[in-house]
Amino acid sequence: MPIASAVWPRTFLARWKRRSAASLALPLPQRRLFLLPTRFGLGWAVLVVVLLLFGINYQNTLAYILAFWLFSLGVVVLLRTWRNLLGVRVALRLPEEVFAGGEARLGLVVEGRRPRTALEFHAEGASLRLDLLEGRGEGVLALGAPRRGIQALPLLRIETRWPLGLVRALAWLDVADEILVYPRPLDDEESLHRLSGPGLEASDFAGLRRAEPGDSLARLAWKQWSRTGVLATKAFSVPPRQQLWLDYDACKGDAERRLSVLCARVLAHHQAGDRYGLRLPGMTLAQGEGARQRRLALAALARFRSPAPGEMPS
Amino acid sequence: MRWRWRSGSAGPAVLADGHALSAAMLRQLFIGQCLVLALHLAWMPAWLAGIALVVAGYRYLQLRRRLPRADILVRLVAVGLLLVALWLQFGTLRGMDGLIGLLLGVYLLKLLETHDRRDARVVVLIGMVATTVAFLHDQGLLMAGGALLALAWLVQSLVWLSGATGVRQAWRETAWLLLLSAPLMGLLFVSFPRLGPLWSMPQIDQASTGLTDTISPGDIANLARSDARAFRVSLEGREPDPDERYWRVYTLSHFDGIRWTRATPQELSATLGRSEEQFVRLGQRSPWQESDSPRFVGEFLLEPDSRPWRPSLGAPLATDSRHRFLGDGTLEGIEALGSRSLVRIESSGRAPAWPDPAGARWHTLLPRDSNPRTRELAERLWRENGADPRAFLAAVMDRFGEAPFRYSLSPPRLTTADRVDEFLFESGVGYCTHYASAMAVLARSVGIPARVVAGFLGGERHPDGYFTVRDYDAHAWVEVWLDGAWERLDPTAAIAPERIDQGAQSIQEGADAFLADSPFSSQRMRDIGWANRLRLDWERLEYRWQCSVIGFQREARGAFLNRIADGLGDFWRWWGGLMPGRGVLATLLTLGVALAGMAGAGLLLGLWWRETRRRRDERVQWLSLQAWLSRRGLGPEFGESPSAHLRRIAPRAGAAGPALEESAGHIERLAYAPVGSDERRERLKRLARRVAEVRRRLRRRGSGA
Repeated sequence: MPIASAVWPRTFLARWKRRSAASLALPLPQRRLFLLPTRFGLGWAVLVVVLLLFGINYQNTLAYILAFWLFSLGVVVLLRTWRNLLGVRVALRLPEEVFAGGEARLGLVVEGRRPRTALEFHAEGASLRLDLLEGRGEGVLALGAPRRGIQALPLLRIETRWPLGLVRALAWLDVADEILVYPRPLDDEESLHRLSGPGLEASDFAGLRRAEPGDSLARLAWKQWSRTGVLATKAFSVPPRQQLWLDYDACKGDAERRLSVLCARVLAHHQAGDRYGLRLPGMTLAQGEGARQRRLALAALARFRSPAPGEMPS
Repeated sequence: MRWRWRSGSAGPAVLADGHALSAAMLRQLFIGQCLVLALHLAWMPAWLAGIALVVAGYRYLQLRRRLPRADILVRLVAVGLLLVALWLQFGTLRGMDGLIGLLLGVYLLKLLETHDRRDARVVVLIGMVATTVAFLHDQGLLMAGGALLALAWLVQSLVWLSGATGVRQAWRETAWLLLLSAPLMGLLFVSFPRLGPLWSMPQIDQASTGLTDTISPGDIANLARSDARAFRVSLEGREPDPDERYWRVYTLSHFDGIRWTRATPQELSATLGRSEEQFVRLGQRSPWQESDSPRFVGEFLLEPDSRPWRPSLGAPLATDSRHRFLGDGTLEGIEALGSRSLVRIESSGRAPAWPDPAGARWHTLLPRDSNPRTRELAERLWRENGADPRAFLAAVMDRFGEAPFRYSLSPPRLTTADRVDEFLFESGVGYCTHYASAMAVLARSVGIPARVVAGFLGGERHPDGYFTVRDYDAHAWVEVWLDGAWERLDPTAAIAPERIDQGAQSIQEGADAFLADSPFSSQRMRDIGWANRLRLDWERLEYRWQCSVIGFQREARGAFLNRIADGLGDFWRWWGGLMPGRGVLATLLTLGVALAGMAGAGLLLGLWWRETRRRRDERVQWLSLQAWLSRRGLGPEFGESPSAHLRRIAPRAGAAGPALEESAGHIERLAYAPVGSDERRERLKRLARRVAEVRRRLRRRGSGA
């Protein structure tokens, strides 16, 4: 059975990895660390043997000393590589929103009591290198998010070859967390057409709010700033122009395409400040507006399970 | 790509693409190559440095001008040129020098095709092999120091390749690695069993010392002398007097009218038709003479030589390893020395007391028709002294002491077939070999068995008590068989007694005759006081290094381990004597208790250390404070952060208020602000102090209420 024999080791390896993975909450414990020699490490071992033979055959004391020293260096490197990884604590910063086809930018906050050097994080082809010079470091691991839905985060491999690259200390981290991947937004010409047009520009001055990085320079209240020294942004309100329903059944195409279109429309209507509700087969989201409505709508789209062909609502 | 020579500009080892080496890393590798090459340059052709520069220049231009990489054709041509150059230099590629040159050349050329991390690591590994090969040239202190430097640099290159972020970090890690691995290295060095060579390897041709096994007086007008070291020796017990420092090496017993040659055991057995066994025996003790009471016991540190000779003061009696004991009272190693080594030789201090197995007849042979005038003289002196050997020899010695005989290191050349006649009756000028040769011929002419001994006389005594014997101490003298023993006769003593008393360098005849070949010899520095002291100090250091480290081979290691075993035995007896209960069991038990006590103390120390480390964590600090406050009814409310909790109770806490406020501030900073390690330590210390203060003040208030 060729298929089974090819599959079995892989599943076995995956199971073994998962079982030996460390959890995130604690500093990396000793039992979850693995040490593997690298190719360079094997070359080093051969070098030590060659130098030892050289010392024996030439009765050369300095060659003996060098061979012993290189061997001892190997042993010390084993310990130091292991120690570079031991007790590292990883905390996750889950990505706020992920759309299918984009990337899930997983934030890692890594702490070690000591300075650590050249820690590498790998997960599903993405990799990140961190140096914890002050015992703390942060980075972002860009994972792929190919499909909509609930996606379990993969095992995170953390490894290091510091200081000489002779051995590799590695551990698997069981993230035990999942992210919700929203559908890939797909702009429909029809919906775009309906959204654009006069009167949609936010134009009514609604007051001042504290400026945030990223605010348009054109909307900064410079006069206020010169008077008070506080940087503020002029906020304009868009009157809720439409009260509308986004309907699954009104879209064309297969289920995923419909969800993508709906996703794009949710984003657009949110931006426009509309009040909208969402109707999906078997689920209805009441009309609402604002960030909460957007989040609920997107989550509903992400979690949506297309009904089996037989039970398509008529 | 940048290529800057400022040391501060060392960037990461690889570029942003994760593969290509940065210019800074290439520079690292190049400097490493230079350091390794420097170890070889004193022995290898200087154009190797040229290769290094050309390769580095090529890479520099390539990075600077973005030239294409060196393709396979360029690299093949480079290797071809290297082979041709080596062949022109050494005449062959088979020799050891050629092989070393090839290794170094390939090591240097490898930089041409070093592009990624893996290539760089290969370069470093080859560098370590090249460093080891340098130990074939020399194992002195300078070489060891240079190799240590090269090793540190290579390790530091590897640290960079593994992702060091700065110069300080790279060097600190390198230093830690080397320091931490040194004890294990030392342990292995002492405990690893030393084996003999497993198979034979190509050897570097060793120069031979000034000692020859053929002497032909008058062939060479000027005695070429060098101050190269022949051996060093430290003697146990009594030091030999200046007139006892005759280091015997070879006996020359065959005279063909012109030159004296050595008859090896093989030649003797072939000539005399007897088995070789009768002339040489293998073993650790002399089969020729009882070795109960050696006069001198010497630890010899021999320089490598192409011949396996071993010096000894008088006849050798015993050694610490298997040697060839020759019937003429000399000693040979089983094979030539490829590197410096230590040998311990016990010797009698005087000429052998047993008859030479070659027989008395062999030692009175003279070519029939040569040197007629010398024979005539010998017979005349023999008759005048009433056929008494001792009186005859004394008369010959007296004769040498008179005019016209003169000692000179640059005597006129002797050209006739009757060399001894020419020397005795015409020139009268010569050095030790002339006199020894003439003396032996005179003795043989009247039937007294005689042979010429080649060896060394004297040596420089160091303040530590060891002797350095150099090439220019080479000497020749005569041994004659009288009254059942060989007796040493040195005719040079009659003509130039200062040669015996003060050593070879006392012979000054025109300041430049001595060491004419080596104008910068250390011997010329003898007159400058501080330079001489410095030289002596350096030589002492070198000698210690050679004896204790380089000489740490089979026998030395065995002796060292024995000493350790003895030390342990002494400790055992001392401990047994210290304990009240007698017997092995009691000693063992008390020793176990003592060890367990020590282990317990260590464990307690570890626990204490862990506790202090725990205290350094701010979470531990506030958790314990919170628990303490909760017990007094001041605990946190649900969902309250630690700092908010402390701030809330501060106004009601009276005297403890400010301390609570400050603790809250510290906890907030420590938990949320990106504080540096210095500030962190400082804040933790303050937090601990404030927490203690809170407890103190609140407790006082509690007791007062």
